[in-house]
Amino acid sequence: MKRAMVWASMLALGVGISTVAARAQDELPPPSPIEKTLAERAEHVTEVTLDKNMLAFAGKFMNKDKDDDKDEKEAKEMIQGLRGVYVRDYEFDKDNEYSAEELEGLRKYITTSDWSPMVHERTKGAKEGTDVYLKMINGQVQGLFVLDAEPRELSLVLILGPIDMDKIGALSGNFGIPKQAVKDVKKAQKEAGK
Amino acid sequence: MSRHNQRSTKTATWWSAALVLGGIAAAMTPAILLAASGSGGGFDEVVRGIESRYHVHANKIPFLGLISLVAAHATHGGVHSVHVAEIEHMEGPVDGAELNALVAEHVGPGWQRIVRDTNRSGDEQSLIYVKPQGSRLGMLVVDLDHKEMDVVEVSINPDKLSDEISEHRHSREDNDDRTAQDDSE
Repeated sequence: MKRAMVWASMLALGVGISTVAARAQDELPPPSPIEKTLAERAEHVTEVTLDKNMLAFAGKFMNKDKDDDKDEKEAKEMIQGLRGVYVRDYEFDKDNEYSAEELEGLRKYITTSDWSPMVHERTKGAKEGTDVYLKMINGQVQGLFVLDAEPRELSLVLILGPIDMDKIGALSGNFGIPKQAVKDVKKAQKEAGK
Repeated sequence: MSRHNQRSTKTATWWSAALVLGGIAAAMTPAILLAASGSGGGFDEVVRGIESRYHVHANKIPFLGLISLVAAHATHGGVHSVHVAEIEHMEGPVDGAELNALVAEHVGPGWQRIVRDTNRSGDEQSLIYVKPQGSRLGMLVVDLDHKEMDVVEVSINPDKLSDEISEHRHSREDNDDRTAQDDSE
């Protein structure tokens, strides 16, 4: 009897932990400590954080005239179905204001085991480059992370939720997502298709 | 004194006490409501917090109630409850982290920051908060541009505003088409 109760408690604990873990994966992460130090060094910082409710609202502002257009309608539905958009952009007044360790720390902070690297573009000997990660669950894209490092600018874009990669262009320039990040993803898609 | 007289005197005393209490309650109601609205955060609390921290005075735009009504009418309910406060002569640079914390402290429950734009020199800061209000969306903007700070709160109905924008776009396109037709003739 006692043993059965112990097993039942462990099972309940397991279910609890997995629920919390699943929930944590669905929600936008809190800012990493690295972001705080980057913000202190940056000349200009832009932060955009939109959760599921805000995105559902934001979708309503999209061009209603184009609802008859199937692609536009699907793109709008994709945006309304997203679970979160998290954008951070740091502009520095001189080169080399961030380290390779900080970039690695940011990558590790966001990308857990469900994330797969899609592109890792680097010039030899330079910190600058682009990383694109996809979160794949049961063969479906459930998240996109872009880390774009320029000599004087560092951009992080994290999008959570089901993403139709063919409609990714609809996000370009919207919700604070830099156009460059979407270009990087499209380029990565082309590279992957080769 | 007869028992009847005693009872009527007692009743009169109770009535007097009830009237005094009622009077006090009526007199205090505006103060209680004001205190309650203050603790709810939003525009007034944020403006008061900024005034108190930076020792500045916010100018409220005259006839804003009327402007708000006109905006609501013009947008067919797309935008209403417009509140604007303008603070001129902000002295010295404003620490972005401090302003961010100050607004977060005073904005109250339900408001969510969606955008923060800040620079290190402290002369340009923008914060945008939103709050779902049923089918409407409350939007609060705090914007500092050098020595001038503006605090704006509006309530938006995305559906109606989107319809309104769409209608204007159509009429502009129709006008452009007509002008192009006239030019070709």
